[in-house]
Amino acid sequence: MALLEVRGLHKVFGHGRSAVPAVRGVDLDIERGETLGLVGESGCGKTTLGRVVVGLQAPTEGEITFDGEVLDGKLSRPEYRKRVQMVFQHPAQSLNRRMRVNTTLSEPLRLLDVAAKDEIRGRVDQVLRLVGLGPDYLLRGPRQLSGGQQQRIAIARALMPDPDLVVLDEPTSSLDQSVRGRIIALLRSIQAERGVAYLFISHDLSTVRRIADRVAVMYLGRIVEVAPTERIFEDPQHPYTKALLSAVPSMDLDTRGTRIILEGETPSPSELPSGCSFQDRCPLVHERCRTEDPVLRPHGGDRMVECFAVTERAR
Amino acid sequence: MSYGGPVPPDYGDPHAPGERAEEYLAPEIAGEASALPLWRRKPLLVVGAVILGIYIVVAVLGPLFVGDPRVTDPANFYQGPSWDNLFGTDKFGRDVFARAVHAARLDITIGILIAFFAMVIGSAIGVVSGYFGGWVDEIVMRLTDVVLAFPGFVLALVLVAAIGNSIPNVVIAVTVAYIPYFIRLTRAQVLAERELEYVDGAKLAGNGPWRVAFRHVLPNSLGPSFVQAALVAGWAILTVAGLAFLGVGIRPPTAEWGVMVAEGAPDIITGQWWTALFPGGMIVAAAMAFQFIGDDLGADVL
Amino acid sequence: MSLLEVRDLTVGVERSPHTLLREVGFTVEPGEIVGLVGESGSGKTMASLAIMGLLPRGIELRAGSVTLDGRELVDPATGEIHRTANEMTMIFQHPRSALNPTMRAGRQIARVLELNQQMESREARDEAVGMLSRVGIPGAGRVARAYPHQLSGGMCQRVMIAMALACKPKVLIADEPTTALDVTIQAQIFDLINELVDETGTGVLFITHDLGAIAEMCDRVTVLYGGQVMERGTLRQVFTDPRHPYTTYLFDAVEREVDPRVEEKGVNFALQGCRFGHRCPYVHEACAEFPPLYPVGDGHVASCFLHGGTDGTS
Repeated sequence: MALLEVRGLHKVFGHGRSAVPAVRGVDLDIERGETLGLVGESGCGKTTLGRVVVGLQAPTEGEITFDGEVLDGKLSRPEYRKRVQMVFQHPAQSLNRRMRVNTTLSEPLRLLDVAAKDEIRGRVDQVLRLVGLGPDYLLRGPRQLSGGQQQRIAIARALMPDPDLVVLDEPTSSLDQSVRGRIIALLRSIQAERGVAYLFISHDLSTVRRIADRVAVMYLGRIVEVAPTERIFEDPQHPYTKALLSAVPSMDLDTRGTRIILEGETPSPSELPSGCSFQDRCPLVHERCRTEDPVLRPHGGDRMVECFAVTERAR
Repeated sequence: MSYGGPVPPDYGDPHAPGERAEEYLAPEIAGEASALPLWRRKPLLVVGAVILGIYIVVAVLGPLFVGDPRVTDPANFYQGPSWDNLFGTDKFGRDVFARAVHAARLDITIGILIAFFAMVIGSAIGVVSGYFGGWVDEIVMRLTDVVLAFPGFVLALVLVAAIGNSIPNVVIAVTVAYIPYFIRLTRAQVLAERELEYVDGAKLAGNGPWRVAFRHVLPNSLGPSFVQAALVAGWAILTVAGLAFLGVGIRPPTAEWGVMVAEGAPDIITGQWWTALFPGGMIVAAAMAFQFIGDDLGADVL
Repeated sequence: MSLLEVRDLTVGVERSPHTLLREVGFTVEPGEIVGLVGESGSGKTMASLAIMGLLPRGIELRAGSVTLDGRELVDPATGEIHRTANEMTMIFQHPRSALNPTMRAGRQIARVLELNQQMESREARDEAVGMLSRVGIPGAGRVARAYPHQLSGGMCQRVMIAMALACKPKVLIADEPTTALDVTIQAQIFDLINELVDETGTGVLFITHDLGAIAEMCDRVTVLYGGQVMERGTLRQVFTDPRHPYTTYLFDAVEREVDPRVEEKGVNFALQGCRFGHRCPYVHEACAEFPPLYPVGDGHVASCFLHGGTDGTS
């Protein structure tokens, strides 16, 4: 039984004519202690999905099961907050600039009732060490920290209640290249030590590759492909996945000029055509794609793909 | 990507060209580039603070050293400024300086109190209105519209007339006139702040909505309110003095600058300029001091 | 004589020993894309601002020469750069904030044409729509009438490119032009830039921290760190045979497993010697002096004493 099971998740913002369907029917599983990478470009709904999973946003439709228990309106309760946490994209912004580190870190312990008063200091020190910082940081404010240090504090804050799952929304996108590597390494060592699962959301494929066990690719609110990390990178199946991977600039000089260039731009989520949402840009498009909605199907034993051209090819 | 909400400031945004050096460079270097001392960078702030400082000293300690402002000395009336009476005496022979000093205590205190209460009440309402939105916000906004439709002075005048002349009533009336400024200011800041990630972080840390609003969002939304408070303190002194001048609110024989100007105004024609000029000058200087402070108080000092 | 030649560019903070750029130099030929790569704080954006005469307040040009098509841009009397509105243009990282939010897209391009090419407004309007087409925007007429906030990031960037190219510049400086865009849109923009360079022979100075983008787009590369040119050469030279310890460090950073407990040391901008000294595995006493650029290949240079110190340390 997976730690987190998401079935038929929908999230629509607004109503009537100005309704924007950010997530359009997503099924997802995250196992204990694993890292699921969630990739996609802007507007694909990955951030929204992350926020619904962590309980900052209520789903419009669908079912979320955590540790065997079906959650229904309980996503914003302290009990859930103790077990599912989040790290955000902009480290400086995600910390209260008027609060010192020790307050920021002790707050979850006090409010979520995780530790007794005399244990708080010890726990804070412990987690601070876990993220590679010492007690000399306790009295500092966010303005006195570098980007990487701020993000470490944000990670520490998420880890304070000892959660089972941490959703990370573009945690390294705002950081320098060299700092990125350190934070990724930090996250991996924490996972090794604490066994926490990650939902790692990012548009940066190279970063995801270094930390994820499995990768799910999202396009316009739906998951189009899910597979183990190396399988996705070495042998992408869905045409969007292929274009996405091809577009990533690589330092390998021999691949210069071999990019798959997609036509046009991502359509607006409020004006989607019937059938597959990728139809206007897909090199493999045919009749069926315009009339029928494709569904995620198992393909090749270890993955799921949502594309008629791919899954029906075997026939 | 926000679906229909206001766009938050982008804190993670590096390198917008053409910005000032301080915003551009790492903190260690920025410190160098803006190495000018405070009095060079913000002269008005310093001048204002010095003047206000003098006033506060006078207000706190002055009454201990000068004579009783109510003592009359009919034999000594209408004496010009001298070493015995620095500001001269008025028509009852009272020492104008002593009265002015006691009035300083009253007016400065009132000014600061009004600004303080208006800010505290106004920003609390502003936070609730801005953070929770909905029908509460609608009602609050319409009420502030109504209050702001009246010129502040007129509103205070009407309120004092309604609730009676006394010092506490004047404070209440003028405070009410200024509360809407703080509601608007705080609310505007809150609307931007509530979209920022630390608000989500606070929710995940277990803060309920009220704690998020008051413990996290409000402190970060008060910046502009402090500036406004400085200005309001100055305006409040002018308003109170103005009301007193008209005979509303604080009345003789209380030593208050506006009262003193009202009593001294007719004296100018007969040549006794000191009875009105000194208190009037003190009003002006106090108001200016607060104005200077408010004008130059920026985000980099707070 | 190169199209754009920058030599010994030295930029610092006024009234302070901090030097943000130290003897920086590179060239751009017509029809060539030259990369300027470095992490944030390396000075790469500062260099582009210096060349364009857009240095922020408090930052001054201390020395150096910038010649465009043989003409010196630095005023010997004031030490300031003459702005060169239509010969050298720039596009920025955040396209939406670089466009005027109160003006329609087509009008912004048309104004550039009116001011720089002295076109009449009717002609400028038509030409603007034409330019939007050329930069790959379908439905150019409709987009011309739109405001920037109605357009996507990719579209805005194309509009900005159209504006930059409307002046028919000799040199285009692109400062992280696609960093804020999705990767599939980035691929489209790169494709567009390549096409336009082939068509117009414009020289491009491509500034970024993304090594992959450099590999994809550039013919030659200059590596910058702490305001110091670390290495310079053709793409192949620098990428397949890096000679400066910093360059190797930069390439490794992408793949390397690092000790997560160790925080990174920043650059000391008041340092007189090599700016990488405090992190360099090969550092020694000679590095306390500012290293010149030693030749390590045909047109390939590196500023490291390992390649030509006088105390025989190569």
